[in-house]
Amino acid sequence: MLSTAATAIRARWLDADKLTAAALLAGVGIPLVVFVLYPLASILGKSFETPGGFGLGNYVRYFGEPKLTQVIGNSLAVSIVATILTTVLAYGFAYPLHRARLPGAGAFRFIALLPLFAPSLVQAMGLVFLLGRNGLVNRTFGLGINVYGFWGIVIANVFYAFPHALLILSAALAVADARHYESARMLGASDWRIFRSVTLPATRYGLASAVFVVFTIVITDFGNPMVIGGDYTVLATEIYNQVSGQANFQMGTVVGMILLLPAAVAVIVEKAIARRQHASLAAQSVPLVVRPSRRRDLAWLTYVVLVSLAILTVVVTVIAASFVRLWPYRMIPTLHHYRFDVQNGITPLWTSIEASLLAAVIGVVVVIAAAWALHRFQGPVTRFLYFLSILPAAVPGMVLGLGYILAFNDPGNPVYLIYDTVLILAICNVYHYHAQGFLVATTAVKQISRTFDEASATLGAGHLRTLGHITLPIIWPAVVSVGVFFFMRSMVTLSALIFLYTPETQVAAVSVLLLDESGQLSQAAAFSTCIIAVVMVSLFVFQGLLRLAGARNVSLIR
Amino acid sequence: MSDAFLSLRHITKRFSAVTAVRDVSLDVAEGEFVCFLGPSGCGKTTLLRIVAGLEAPDAGQVRLRGADLLAVPARRRNFGMVFQSYSLFPNMTAARNVAYGLECRRWSRSHIDRRVREMLGLVHLEDEADRHPHQLSGGQQQRVALARALAPEPSMLLLDEPLSALDAKVRESLRGEVRDLQRTLRITTIMVTHDQDEAMEMADRIVVMNGGAIEQAGSAEELYQRPATRFVAEFIGRMNVLQLDDGAGVTPTLAGAPIRLLAGGSGRVRLVGLRPEDVEVARAGAPTDNQVTGIVEKAVYLGSVTHVTLAVGRQQLMLEVRGPRRVLERSAPLTVRLPPEALRPLAET
Repeated sequence: MLSTAATAIRARWLDADKLTAAALLAGVGIPLVVFVLYPLASILGKSFETPGGFGLGNYVRYFGEPKLTQVIGNSLAVSIVATILTTVLAYGFAYPLHRARLPGAGAFRFIALLPLFAPSLVQAMGLVFLLGRNGLVNRTFGLGINVYGFWGIVIANVFYAFPHALLILSAALAVADARHYESARMLGASDWRIFRSVTLPATRYGLASAVFVVFTIVITDFGNPMVIGGDYTVLATEIYNQVSGQANFQMGTVVGMILLLPAAVAVIVEKAIARRQHASLAAQSVPLVVRPSRRRDLAWLTYVVLVSLAILTVVVTVIAASFVRLWPYRMIPTLHHYRFDVQNGITPLWTSIEASLLAAVIGVVVVIAAAWALHRFQGPVTRFLYFLSILPAAVPGMVLGLGYILAFNDPGNPVYLIYDTVLILAICNVYHYHAQGFLVATTAVKQISRTFDEASATLGAGHLRTLGHITLPIIWPAVVSVGVFFFMRSMVTLSALIFLYTPETQVAAVSVLLLDESGQLSQAAAFSTCIIAVVMVSLFVFQGLLRLAGARNVSLIR
Repeated sequence: MSDAFLSLRHITKRFSAVTAVRDVSLDVAEGEFVCFLGPSGCGKTTLLRIVAGLEAPDAGQVRLRGADLLAVPARRRNFGMVFQSYSLFPNMTAARNVAYGLECRRWSRSHIDRRVREMLGLVHLEDEADRHPHQLSGGQQQRVALARALAPEPSMLLLDEPLSALDAKVRESLRGEVRDLQRTLRITTIMVTHDQDEAMEMADRIVVMNGGAIEQAGSAEELYQRPATRFVAEFIGRMNVLQLDDGAGVTPTLAGAPIRLLAGGSGRVRLVGLRPEDVEVARAGAPTDNQVTGIVEKAVYLGSVTHVTLAVGRQQLMLEVRGPRRVLERSAPLTVRLPPEALRPLAET
C-alpha cells in the first residue's frame, strides 16, 4: 500500500530535469557501448570463429602449439620479475622523498617521472644504444654483453613502469600520522622496527596497488619487447606477429583474450585494494615532520642520485644519439637526423599533435560528462555505465586496437565513415585511457559539496545551469589536468594505434617503431626526442598557465 | 482541507532501514516563524528538506495554499533556503551570489543590479559586494546567504541550522538580525535548530521533534510551562522528572510522602515534571502540604542563586535557592515543598 503511494509520488516528479538526465545518460552511455563494449565483444566473437563454425577450435589449436603456450610463460616471467624490481626500487625512491630530508627532492622526482614523457620503446632504445651489439659499452670496451631478450625487456620495463609506481607509492608515503610514530618512539622502538610496524602497514595498500598497476603495465607493454626482445616473444608482440605478420586474425584474438585475462585480474584486484585504502585514511591525524639525520639522509641521497642517474642516462642517451652522426662510431655533432627525409618525414609528428589535441578535447568532454552524470543520477543504469567507464583500465591497448579493426573496419558500420581518419585514433586513445581520466574527473566532481547543488536548485537553477555556472567554474583546474593527461598519453602511446594507423594517419610513436625496425636508429632517436620535447613543453606551458590563473596544487602528471 | 499557508499531512520518509520522519502532520500559518527543534537525528532536517523539495517523501502530502507541492521540483517552488555553512558559490562574488537566483528567473540586468544592492543593504554588506566568500567572515557569509535566499522574493524562507557553525558572539547578534528581517518582510519562515535558546528567542512556534515524530508544538512559553512529555520537559530548560509511587490510597507518593497534583489530577499519574525554580524550601508559616525531606548531595553557590541537588529516596531533585548564601552542608537533611500548581503530569514517550 505504502509502496504504491511512493511510486505515485515519484511519478509526479517528472519534469524537464528528468529528460535532461535521460538525455545525458544516453549521451554518456551510447559512446561507451559503441567504443568499449562492442569492440571487446567483436574480439571475443572472432576468437570463437573457426572454419567449421562457432567453437573452441582456435583455443584448442593455440594450446596444442608448445611454441605459442611458451609465450604465456615468457610474458608472466618478464612481468613478475619486472614488477618485483620496479616496486622495490620505486619504494626506496619514494621513501626518502617523504621520510628523509633530501636536498633537491623536487628535481629527483621530476627526473624519475621522465619516462612518462616518452613512448615506451624509448627505454629499450636507450638500452640498445648503451648495451646493444653496437652499443657504447660493447664498442668502447670490446665486450660481448647481450642485452636482447628476457633481461633487456625486464630492465626496459623497470625504467618504463618506474614513474607509475613512484606516483602511487609517493602518494601512500606522503600521508603519515605523527602520533603513531611518536607513540612507537616513546615505547622504545628502533627505526627499523618502526618501519616494519608503522610505515610498512600504513603503506601496504599503496604497495599492493603499485604491484598490480606495474604488472598490468609490463604485461601489456608492446614497444619495449619489440625493440629489445630479440627472439624472446611475449603476448603483446605475439598478437602483432599473428595479426600484422601472418594476417591470422582468429589467432590474434585468441592471444588477445589470453592477454586480457591477467591484465583484467590485476586491475580488478587493484581497484578493490584502492577502495579499501580510501576507507583507512583518518580524519584528524597529525602530519609527520621529518627530523634531520646526517647519516640517514646521506645514505638515501646516494641511492636516489644513483637511480636518477640511471633513468637520466637512458633518456639522455637517446637524445644524444639523435644529435651525433652515427652512435657510437662517429660522435660528431649534427642536426642531420632532424631533416626527417626518410619514411614519412615529419608529418607523423603533426598527426600525433593533431590526434592528441583532439583526444584531449574529446576526452575532457567525455569523462567530465560521464563523471558528472553518473554522480548526479544514481541507479542500476548508472552502475552499469560506471563499470563500462572503468573497464578500459583492464583492456590492453593491443586488444582495444584489434577490437577497433574487427568492429569498425566494415562499411556496414556507421563508424566506418571515420575509420582511416585521425579522429578514430583520437577516439581510440580517449577510450584506451578512459578509466584514469574518468576517475580523476569523478574525484573532482565528488569534492564539490552537495550543498552547492542544492543551493543552486533552491534558487531556481536546472541541472545544466548548475553545471555551467557552479560545477565547471569550481573544478576547472581538474578539467585542465584531465585534458593534459589525455594529450600526454596520446602523444606517447603506441600499442592501441599500431593496428589503426594508415600511411596518411601515421603517428610519431609508430614512426619511431618503424624507423627502429628498419635500422634507422638515429632518425628514430630524433623522432623520440621531438615527442619528448612536445610533451614537456606542453606540460610546462599548462603548469605555468595554471599557476598564473591561481590554481596551485594541481598535479598535471598522472 | 485546511486553509493553512503550508500544510504537511502524514509525511513519512525512510532511508533504507531508518525511518527519518514518521507520519508527521503540521500546519504553518502565513507570516509565521516556526522552528523545528530537536537533537541530531530527530528528522527535523529531513522534514525541512522535504518542504524544500530536496527530498521526496515516501508517503504523505505537502500543500502550499492548498496546491500540491510534491509535483513541483525544488527549483520551481520559489522557496529561499539558507544552509548550515559554506553554501555560497566560491567562484562568485557576494553580489553575483545574490544575483544568481534572479538570473535563473531571467530578471533584466538593471532590475537585478537594483535588487542586489537593496538586498546587500538589508544585511548591511553593501561594501562587501565585490568580495569572494573566502574573503568574508562566517557571519558575513551567512548574511550574504540570507540575502541570496531572499532576493528572488520567495514565498517562504527555509533555514537549515543557519547559525550553528558560527562563533557564539556572532550567533547571538545574527539571531536578532534574522528575526527582525523576518518581521519586516513578514515572510513565512521555517528554521531547523538543535539549540533551544535559539528556538525560544526567535520562533513564534516551536515544533519539538524526537525519533522522526512531533513531540509537541507550541510557543516558547507553552513548551516551558506546560511540557506534555518527558522528552520536551528535559529538552527545554532544566526540569526535574519524578517517578511517583502508588500510595496506599488514590494519592501517589514520593519517598513515602503523599503528593497531590492540581493539573490533570484524574487517572493514575506516574510521571511529573517540576522546574527547579518552583521547588520551595520549607520554612515556618508556609503551607506544609506536598513536603518531602531529602539529603543534600551537592550545593553549587553561583552568587544570586545556589543550585542544590537533593537525594529523595532513590531519585534526585534539583532546586534553586535564592537570596544570601545559606549554609547547606553535604549530607544534611533538607525539607522542601513541591507546590501542586507547579507539578506537570508528563507522558513517558
